[in-house]
Amino acid sequence: MKLRKAVTLIGMLLIFTLLLAACNEEDGGESGSNETSSGDAKSVKFMHLWPEGSSAQHYKIVNEIIADFEAENDDITIDLEVLSNEQYKDKITVLSTSNELPDVGMTWAAGYMEPFVNGNMFASVDDVVESDLSDSFVEGTLDGFAIDDTTYGLPLELNISTVFYNKSIFEEHGLEEPETMEELNEIVKTLNDNGVNPIALGNRDAWTGSMWYMYLADRLGGDEDVLSEAINREKSFEDPVLIQAAEEVQSLIDADAFVQGFNGLADEEAKSMFMSEQAAMYLIATWDLPNFTTNEDVPQEFRDSVGYFQFPTVDGSGDVNNYVGGPGVGLFVAENSDVKEEAKAFASYFLQQWGEKAVTEVGVIPATKVDAESLDLPEMYVDVLNDLNAATNITLYADVQMSPSAAQVHLDMIQALFGGEVTPEDFAKTHEDTLSQE
Amino acid sequence: MNIVNKVMSNKWIITLYTLPALLLIIVLIVVPLILSGYFGLMNWDGIGAMEFIGLDNYIVALQDTKFWQSAMHSFLLALFSALSLIAYLAVALILASKIKGANLFRKIYLIPMLLSSVAIAQLWIKVYNPSNGMLNSILMTLGVNNPPAWLADPNIVLYAIFVPIIWQYAGFYILIYYAALKNIPDSLIEAAKIDGATPLQIALKIKIPLIMNVFKVTIVLAIVGSLKYFDLIYVMTGGGPNGASEVMASYMYKLAFSSYDFGYGSAIGFLLLIITLIVTVIVRKVTATKEEIEY
Amino acid sequence: MSRIGYSLLYICLGLVAVFQIFPILWLFMFSLKTNQEIFAGSPFALPLEPKWENYLKVFDGGIATYFWNSIWITVVATVLTILIASMATFAITRMKWKLSGLVLGLIMVGLMIPIHSALIPLYNMFLNVNLIDNPLSIVLTYITYNLPITVMILLGFYTTIPREIEEAAIIDGSSIHRLFFRIILPISAPIMSTTVIINMIYNWNEFVFVNTFISSEKYKTLTVGIQNFIGQYMTDWGAIGATLVISVLPIIIAFLFFSNKIMEGITASAVKG
Repeated sequence: MKLRKAVTLIGMLLIFTLLLAACNEEDGGESGSNETSSGDAKSVKFMHLWPEGSSAQHYKIVNEIIADFEAENDDITIDLEVLSNEQYKDKITVLSTSNELPDVGMTWAAGYMEPFVNGNMFASVDDVVESDLSDSFVEGTLDGFAIDDTTYGLPLELNISTVFYNKSIFEEHGLEEPETMEELNEIVKTLNDNGVNPIALGNRDAWTGSMWYMYLADRLGGDEDVLSEAINREKSFEDPVLIQAAEEVQSLIDADAFVQGFNGLADEEAKSMFMSEQAAMYLIATWDLPNFTTNEDVPQEFRDSVGYFQFPTVDGSGDVNNYVGGPGVGLFVAENSDVKEEAKAFASYFLQQWGEKAVTEVGVIPATKVDAESLDLPEMYVDVLNDLNAATNITLYADVQMSPSAAQVHLDMIQALFGGEVTPEDFAKTHEDTLSQE
Repeated sequence: MNIVNKVMSNKWIITLYTLPALLLIIVLIVVPLILSGYFGLMNWDGIGAMEFIGLDNYIVALQDTKFWQSAMHSFLLALFSALSLIAYLAVALILASKIKGANLFRKIYLIPMLLSSVAIAQLWIKVYNPSNGMLNSILMTLGVNNPPAWLADPNIVLYAIFVPIIWQYAGFYILIYYAALKNIPDSLIEAAKIDGATPLQIALKIKIPLIMNVFKVTIVLAIVGSLKYFDLIYVMTGGGPNGASEVMASYMYKLAFSSYDFGYGSAIGFLLLIITLIVTVIVRKVTATKEEIEY
Repeated sequence: MSRIGYSLLYICLGLVAVFQIFPILWLFMFSLKTNQEIFAGSPFALPLEPKWENYLKVFDGGIATYFWNSIWITVVATVLTILIASMATFAITRMKWKLSGLVLGLIMVGLMIPIHSALIPLYNMFLNVNLIDNPLSIVLTYITYNLPITVMILLGFYTTIPREIEEAAIIDGSSIHRLFFRIILPISAPIMSTTVIINMIYNWNEFVFVNTFISSEKYKTLTVGIQNFIGQYMTDWGAIGATLVISVLPIIIAFLFFSNKIMEGITASAVKG
């Protein structure tokens, strides 16, 4: 009969717990987990998306910065939570529905953060920028994090995308860096004739294909950033330039420029094809620089054979100093934080410490200015930093510019366009319909 | 007999035995369900203020071709899952018969079930990789020149992704059938053998009828599980390319968590539940039999 | 059946067995490879230089805490689910009351809810009762969300229990608790073992709820440890493989144990019956 007693007990306990829970509901609502611990020390909750397993260097530097900050401010402790990318996004969504965002967290620019700003979730960080960080950001990086002239995020990285290529494959087939689309087409043809995959593309993630489309649109548009104008409704998406760019994509597809089955491959898989010398070229942003320079896990031989070139001109049109890219993640401070001042102090401190450590130890191109000359950096970094300084215009990734729901349509259409399921005209029309409805 | 009836209808005991389950389900499933139906009446991005818009989301959903396309895919999955139960039953019948090594085979067959979706997804991504995947490597050695890009071809991707989903649950159903078959008293089967019944006759005339209740339950489980299926599709294709492998649950997830269209996503989630409910009721009606089989 | 028939049967069974055992072997090889080998090399190839350090990496990642949390949460949730589900199934199938159909219907509705619909309401409810970042929220959710499927599986079995058994027991003067715990539960041991296995697997591999409701490292489970190796720009697949191998071992052991219980249960009830 012991068992029976145990069962009754467990059942009672369960019911009791639930009742207790139900009672708590009435008086406990306000004093949620956001309440800071008692005593003098204030705790600032900080969430980031660089887990130790996959981003050991990022993780380490963040911890160093936190330790230094806590040492300098012994009345503040940082309460850290780390999640991987997808999980981070999901959790932020759930937290925001209950107005429970961490005091400091990470956000993406423009379209991603717009709902949070409209919902009054993010605090303005204009004061932080003005007092502590004036003149420390690279020109234009704050724009993506500003809505109606108020800044809501402090960018940590700045990436531009370029075409990385395998020098030894190019040499083997007597190829040179292309400057025009015609030359690129020739290279594709030569490589295909010799049984080499020309370009690695993982379009299951669709933002990868979007970068190709964006570059074509940028080059065809010449001095004008037609795509961005279409997104912010100064122009129609059915502009001839945007349709022609879609046609160019399809002629690349017809020429078998991309690896087989790219629409079913994740970017990770495409990258690995490039890194195992199974494909000659790969368009990606500079966040992958460590893999091509300093990452010890990648064979030295491969790293030595990677070069990059700027996206070529199309039909003699376009400025090669225009880039597709933009700031990556940035720090936000929650509007309803109980410790907003401390949170801002931490965010500001983080930004001040981040830049130099990021580039030397992680290999991130930071959004804050660093003195490249004084640092001992791999050659490719120096080149990229020089290109950045010479950049005429950086077009922010289309899926980041757009609102989350429009971005979803864009990504689906990119897959359809690359898969040959939609005509360039319908591609443009669907975009136009979606954007004009907002 | 009266005393039996009296004991077996003791209200206090019934309450005691069902209350824990009922409380948990009402608080943690039914309430969230009602809330999500309620969110479905809102224009809400999950962050800002909610705006009541009545049934608009539901009306839009009923005219949303993407939703119906994903629902169609979910139905197909349900159909294939239900059909595959026959194969699992056959395997379970073989394993539960007294052949040598059945015990070992049974354990081996159930191994894939133990793996998490993350592991299964990684395995099948490697199986389907167009250039150096396991499947295409084998096809190419067999002389197939242009094997398909399984997850990239919109005409194939849906069926390609059904295979791992159905395979993933094989162990689950075999396990249930096996336990049910093992529960049949030996005496019944021995008696049939003495009467000269063949193994096939025993299976069809005795074993299967006896586990029919269990089989019906698994049909419901397979259909319901398929209609709300999410895991592998999300990891392996994300519903793509361009919605070719989208199912109802992945579409709902995209709307709520990627597009921040929370009201609409909740409405889709609620419709998913209504559809599942209707299908379940139909299935239960169709498979219902008058007489209870007992032994 | 003829000898040829048997041979054919065994060849088929053997082929399927190879197919089913392959994932585990593949996973193990996977865990010893570099990212390059995983993506570019032949999937059938053996790792060139087995990277045992993948396992070291995993242990450095504080896996012990995750491991312990996974174990106790799985065990507690599984035991409670089986108990509560058995009690409810018993009352629904064996006892006589008017509302049993309604209660069963309600439980079945629980089968149908897509978890992403429930996530945000659940988070909000747990937040209001201060159960966020408390393992109790996870245990309660696991119990509740596995109840419907457990009840459904038990249901098919409970309906086949002969009436005579309970009639005999009650006429002998047995109380209903005694009937349930001493007679019904032991008879249902094989199907119970089945639901134990299924519950264990589900609880062990779950991560959406843990990820959403738990934020402290000290309460996170193994599945979150796996996510730890998935990065924003780079994923360490070898280490993920190693975590997967480590995390599947306990479940294999438990599975083999309970899988034998299915047999034992039958012999036990056969003796009694």
